[in-house]
Amino acid sequence: MSETIDQVEEQAKLKLDTLNSPEELESFRIAYLGKKGKLAVLMDKLKTLPIEEKREFGSRVNQLKNYLEKAFEAKSEILHRVQKAPELFDETLPAICPRQGRLHPITQTIREISRIFERLGFDVVDGPEIETDYYNFTALNILLDHPSRDAFDTFYTEGGQLLRSQTSTVQIRVMQTKKPPLRIIAPGRVYRPDTVDASHSFMFHQIEGLMVDDKTTFSDLKGVIHLFLRELFGSDVKIRFRPHFFPFTEPSVEVDLRWGSRGWLEILGAGSVDPNVFDAVGYDSKQVQGFAFGLGVERIAMLRHGIEDIRLFYENDIRFLRQF
Amino acid sequence: MKVSVDWLQDFVKLSPPYEHIAERLTLAGLEVKKIHPVESPKDCLFEVEITTNRPDWLSHLGVAREVAAVENLSMRLPEVENSKNRQHASGWKINLKEAEGCPYYTGVIVEGITHFETPDFIKRRLEVCGLRSIDMIVDITNYVLLETGQPLHAFDADLIRGKDIRIRRAKAMEKMVAINGREIELAEDDLVIADAERPVALAGVMGGKDTEVTAKTRNIFLESAFFHPRWIRMTGRKFSLASDSSYRFERRVDPEGVDFGRDRVLWLIQKYAKPRFISAVLKAGEKPVQSVGLINLNAADIPKQLGVEIKTHQIHSILTRLGLHVTQESSKGWRVKAPSFRPDLTRSIDLVEEIARIYGYENIPETLPEITPLLSEHHSQVWLENGTRDIMSGMGLFETVTFSLVTRKECGAKDGFDHAVSIVNPQNKELAWMRPSLLPSLLSVVETNIHCGTPDVFIFEIANTYHMISKDKHPKENKTLGMVLSGCWKQKTWLDSSRENSFYDLKGMLLSYFDRLGIRDFMFRSINSDSKFRSEICEQIMVGADIVGVLGEVNPEISRLWDLESKVFYAEVDMGLLLRHIRWVKTFEALPRYPGIQRDIAVIVAEKVKAGEIKEIIKGLGQGLIRDVEVFDLFCGGRIPKGFKNLGFRVTYQSQERTLVSDEIQGLHSVIADQIIKKFQASFQ
Repeated sequence: MSETIDQVEEQAKLKLDTLNSPEELESFRIAYLGKKGKLAVLMDKLKTLPIEEKREFGSRVNQLKNYLEKAFEAKSEILHRVQKAPELFDETLPAICPRQGRLHPITQTIREISRIFERLGFDVVDGPEIETDYYNFTALNILLDHPSRDAFDTFYTEGGQLLRSQTSTVQIRVMQTKKPPLRIIAPGRVYRPDTVDASHSFMFHQIEGLMVDDKTTFSDLKGVIHLFLRELFGSDVKIRFRPHFFPFTEPSVEVDLRWGSRGWLEILGAGSVDPNVFDAVGYDSKQVQGFAFGLGVERIAMLRHGIEDIRLFYENDIRFLRQF
Repeated sequence: MKVSVDWLQDFVKLSPPYEHIAERLTLAGLEVKKIHPVESPKDCLFEVEITTNRPDWLSHLGVAREVAAVENLSMRLPEVENSKNRQHASGWKINLKEAEGCPYYTGVIVEGITHFETPDFIKRRLEVCGLRSIDMIVDITNYVLLETGQPLHAFDADLIRGKDIRIRRAKAMEKMVAINGREIELAEDDLVIADAERPVALAGVMGGKDTEVTAKTRNIFLESAFFHPRWIRMTGRKFSLASDSSYRFERRVDPEGVDFGRDRVLWLIQKYAKPRFISAVLKAGEKPVQSVGLINLNAADIPKQLGVEIKTHQIHSILTRLGLHVTQESSKGWRVKAPSFRPDLTRSIDLVEEIARIYGYENIPETLPEITPLLSEHHSQVWLENGTRDIMSGMGLFETVTFSLVTRKECGAKDGFDHAVSIVNPQNKELAWMRPSLLPSLLSVVETNIHCGTPDVFIFEIANTYHMISKDKHPKENKTLGMVLSGCWKQKTWLDSSRENSFYDLKGMLLSYFDRLGIRDFMFRSINSDSKFRSEICEQIMVGADIVGVLGEVNPEISRLWDLESKVFYAEVDMGLLLRHIRWVKTFEALPRYPGIQRDIAVIVAEKVKAGEIKEIIKGLGQGLIRDVEVFDLFCGGRIPKGFKNLGFRVTYQSQERTLVSDEIQGLHSVIADQIIKKFQASFQ
């Protein structure tokens, strides 16, 4: 009794898996696809079948033939390649690297900063970018019609809302919904109508930090900020605390970083939360105290990576992005 | 502001090196940005930055006062002319009609002045501070402004009509030509100084051309006043006019400085301009006084706020040096009265800051707070964003950060334009729209990179898109993931051939992404109408009942706006919606215990038949034994008739209960193959 199509198919498939050399492959070809191979035998058998079975039988044989031819070619390609490799091995040929994306340097900087504060028990939170006057100014003790507002030029929408000019807005939103103690940092986009040049942009990123309880002091602020800057810039970082003015903190401080030949560079603003801000969110300013700080992500990323033009961040040239 | 050290020496004794003084001031909050040495005659110029809360520093006297407080030095005040026995100016009157805008107004008539050359020291000091010498009288008023911080204005008295000075609101449509030559049309909310007939000065901002002091002027009317900061600020902003005077008035001048500054000008005029007559002072209104009287400073608040114990006598000394009047209330604290030039001091915390500042921030120790662990809220949104970034970059996509503001053209490139949020005061007139989609920004990135010689661009961004709900509602912000594939999926190497990007690559990324997030209940559904995509080459992503996103080939009409010739694929996912469907904790499913068997079916079907339809039919016929059906082959042409294609399916049979035997499967497989042939009018090759 000659073999059935199914038997031939199953055997062929099993055999295919065992082929390890071009020689074995060639004998496989002769055995199945050759002039006197198993498929030829099946085709011969076709002639003997009654007409009504011919059609189906024929098509199945063809299907199998087609499959085996393809399998043969695929296997041949693999075996010949494997065969070629040892002789032609050339370690100087370029390696084939997997494709890899990158996180934007701004994201990397935000993550690094967040990681430091998360270790100190700060939660990373988010807030809206389209804000109202209340959250961006009033609740932060920034008076209308006061020159202190000049530092916060703002984009307004048609509907009378504004694009937040600082992430401090998130302070207010969090304090309105949660009772102290709280420790948060809020990274995000902020907007100021500045002309774009090498060091300015109308959109940039800030990280706001806030720690509130009933005992956190100005000396704690100094300690936490110094610890943070040491983790970010190395333990020998040189910093100084310089009195400054922000409407939402008192005492207020700007922190400068000693940066080689460039001298002191302003790196962040901070201060003890102004009692007026606590009053605005309904905290009892006699019972709670704490500090807030705000820093520009681009500025820190530029310093750490030696980037001299802020515009590079927003151009997204892949030759730039792949360096981080 | 520019500060001459030589000038400061008039009031405090300073010794070089001045870098030391500069650093002390900086560390007390009066930041000296730059120090310029000045030769012949020797001087040193400080460029200082003055924060808006300290208008009292906007003068040499103010800076000297700070130096004295910081260095604990004594102060010497400049000489003034304030003799009591001067005669009244006959016929002159001051009519104060707007007491809110101008609470206090004073003036003096000076007659018979001589226009000598301005004394050298005045000329030189003005020059060092960046002012040009004009005329002795003008120079003296400018000098006193820089010296005391009180702005003063001299009018040519003979050009004032009716000897009548009126401080009033402007009348609608009233006009005035300012000293800088500009004609200003006034409105009723502008405060002006007028004579009997017309405005002669925009109060506190700029004098009028008509009454300007010139070389011919013999008699002057000297004005010294307190104008309300808000009024000056409003008018200045409205006309885009700023002057050294308005800068100080809008920050609030020292009410006591009104008299002092005026008397200082009179002293200098008397000495150098040799006038025939100086009148007694004409006054109107009252000096504004701070509503806050005494501030209670609780001794315990200082260590509680600052974290450092400062000795009582030190606190007393610091406050006194700052010009504050301190009375010891008890051992528990003090009552403190701030001087007129420190309107910023109204609360106990303001005094605590002053103490910290002068004590020196550098002398406050650094401590680390005791941190009690808090139950962290599950910030799922932040988690999802971060997780998504890792997954996307892991799949080979570069993260971009692009501007949230786009141009109208970019915004209109998709059909969300009607609902886009616009900015009324954009910095760049073009970039006036909050983007409703990330597509335009990402296409710009592709364009940039092609120009820079990087044609294969794989990018993603996570950012808000902005949507107007209705005119009177707050716009909505959706955290959105945008992905773009453009160019080659892989470039030819010595080992492999190259391949273009395809819709299926992007879709595969989304499948992997959902898989990583544990989202299972998703479905891709074809859509016909999304103008951002090429017709029919787009799908909607459904998770549960939510449409969480779309993907497709970007409509060539749109990509052409960015000069992109080749195919670009784009996907957009609403992360807020996706968040609802994430399985935060994945549940283990038992691994199959019995082996599976694979069998292939290759059929030739009409081109329009969708692979997915056949796949579904195969699955349906599997009597529950099919675990998976995969399309492993697709080709046309060659032996395949026109209008047809060859599709190869690999079917995996597997049972949960037993090992399947080959015969059993062969029977089922043949039945399925037959059914497919019938159902799709297919044929085997």
